[in-house]
Amino acid sequence: MRLTTLLILVALILVVLTFGCRQQHSGKQLTLAVVSGVEGEALKQAALDYEAQTGVHINIAQFPYANLFEKELIDLNARTGAYDLIMLDDPWFPLFAGSRFLTELTPLLQKRGHDKPDEDFVETSLAICFHPYQADNGTLQALPYVGNSQLFFYRQDLFAKHNLKEPETWNDVLAAAKTIQETETAEGGGKMYGYVMRAAQGNAAVADFMPIFWAFGAEMFDANGTPTVNSPEGIEALQFMLELGKYSPPGYASFNADEVSAHLLQGTAAMSINWPAWISSFSDPAKSKVLGKIQFATLPRGRKFGPAEIGNWLIAIPRHSQNVEPAMDFLLWATTAEQMKRSALRGNPPTRRSLFRDPELVVKFPAYPVQLRSLERSRPRPRTPQWNEIENAFGIFLSKANSGELSPADAMNQANAEIEKILKRAQ
Amino acid sequence: MPRSKRFSSALNRRELLLPYLLVAPALVVLLALSIYPLVYSITISLQQETTTGVVWSLVHFKRLASDGFFRTAMVHTLVYAVAALTCEVLLGLGLALLLNQQIRGRGLFRASLLVPMMLPTVVVGVVWRLLLNPNFGAINGTLKRIGINTESLTWTASPRLAFLAVIAVDVWQWTPFVFLVLLAGLQAIPQEPYEAALIDGSSRWQTFRHVTLPLLKPAILIVLLLRTMDLLRVFDQIFILTEGGPGFATEMISLYIYRTAFRFFDFGYAAAMSFVLLAVTNVVSVVYLKVLQDER
Repeated sequence: MRLTTLLILVALILVVLTFGCRQQHSGKQLTLAVVSGVEGEALKQAALDYEAQTGVHINIAQFPYANLFEKELIDLNARTGAYDLIMLDDPWFPLFAGSRFLTELTPLLQKRGHDKPDEDFVETSLAICFHPYQADNGTLQALPYVGNSQLFFYRQDLFAKHNLKEPETWNDVLAAAKTIQETETAEGGGKMYGYVMRAAQGNAAVADFMPIFWAFGAEMFDANGTPTVNSPEGIEALQFMLELGKYSPPGYASFNADEVSAHLLQGTAAMSINWPAWISSFSDPAKSKVLGKIQFATLPRGRKFGPAEIGNWLIAIPRHSQNVEPAMDFLLWATTAEQMKRSALRGNPPTRRSLFRDPELVVKFPAYPVQLRSLERSRPRPRTPQWNEIENAFGIFLSKANSGELSPADAMNQANAEIEKILKRAQ
Repeated sequence: MPRSKRFSSALNRRELLLPYLLVAPALVVLLALSIYPLVYSITISLQQETTTGVVWSLVHFKRLASDGFFRTAMVHTLVYAVAALTCEVLLGLGLALLLNQQIRGRGLFRASLLVPMMLPTVVVGVVWRLLLNPNFGAINGTLKRIGINTESLTWTASPRLAFLAVIAVDVWQWTPFVFLVLLAGLQAIPQEPYEAALIDGSSRWQTFRHVTLPLLKPAILIVLLLRTMDLLRVFDQIFILTEGGPGFATEMISLYIYRTAFRFFDFGYAAAMSFVLLAVTNVVSVVYLKVLQDER
């Protein structure tokens, strides 16, 4: 008898708990997945403001960059609808959009009386929110929130001292690196390096290589989507990277962004490609030994124009969100010029042209005109759902070439074969 | 009579049921968290997504044969495991023999030897990453100070040095564990065989070879078994230290499985690779256990 009573009691408690939890879901609320660090922090702050203004309850799930992708992927794939809004790094977009994980935004815009997103968004930033990319039938599935694109960092003081002009071509970069490395010593008598790059396998090597690769006239794919990284131009670009590597600190084949910035901040290297997020650290006396000495420029050209890689943070609404309408309201609100300015003041480059030209912001962020020029002419990483896998394979062979394991031609041929395999599997 | 009989049988039934009820929660948890995922992973390793839907296929296992990355990662893992295990057992055994004797400061040595083992592997990875940094790291800094040219000692950026480095880090962290188990084994050996050996006039080497080693064998086998399983599935310290690089030089099978599942979104192939790793680990473990049992 007692046992039965106990069992019934347990069952009752379970039922109450289950439905009790359910009940919390009534009433307007939104759950956001955001990245740790300054980009996510700004959106988090905006969300809290929004909560105070509208009464919509906001839940924030914040993850480090490395975990955010897998958390979102697993959730979107399982269709739990746990998140109503997700922040995503733009290279993930083709996979998410291609797997039909995201809500199409144009119908929601039309409902609110707009036929397309605001013209103020920088074209290149908005273009990567469409799937398929640059296609006539592309649909809008995200809005751009943080407008990063690569910049070229160099030591203004050393360039002036040696009568060097801001580098226009990659050959200028090489010549300047040679001059500086051969004549300068770092503060404290250490060795000064002409250039610093990162060639750790994966994202790092690919990000530092793509601008050179493009400037040399190479392309990852031809018009039919066949990989062409081992074209003569591609191999030549990698040879150039190794040449530049001679002026980079030893061990750069395992460097990531941290090591690159450490060398610039310590004043032991004179040039690099970097992301705008690092700009502020150079004027921070606690971190920087090169206060006021670093200048920012658009990327050098080669045989062809040298575009920067775009690396924007986008915001999208998962297809299986239960709160698509309130999520869209929030998304439009968070990407208004007014709100994005607040995000910009917190340190995130905007994706709106008007803000790059905003007098108050330009005073605070003098690199904005250069950043806008770089962003407007930037290129995205190839828009394929297999990008993570392709980048991984490509990065492995780039890193192998930089660590001396493979010749440039062998590295590019093997990379090409591996990318072919990846694409074939995906068909 | 019939009434009371029915009553007692009802009581019996309830008593029979009770143990099952008590075990039920644990069983449910086990089924949900262990058996179900296992069955699920077997299923997805044998399925393929096509445009027409999901079909049963051996495509993932076939891909294993033609995947150079998989083969290389597997070879790396095995070489890494054998090299690290050999160093750890030899060093651990040496230390255990040394500290099993009456030497001064024995307690201090024993205690300080255990420190690396108590650190989380992620912390070990970060610490060694900093130590091994070619330009700002303490190791090259020290070498430079005593006048050694460190230009070519790029550690994690040189394929060979990086592989040696990841082995060295594991040896640094886990030799204490081997030492601890072997020391316990040594202390459990009774004095009588040694006295007998002494009377028979055996040399120190003969005593070690014919008395200590055979009696220590169970402890050695346990160490081998546990360390092998750990080494084959090594993940965190390498992920932090080199992330498999430079290039592919220190990529282990567990890192490749992780990337395949959570970066490339290919859970089926990742599951297939996991089963190969499971099979290898099982074969090795069964061999050890067989040897261990034969000893008894």
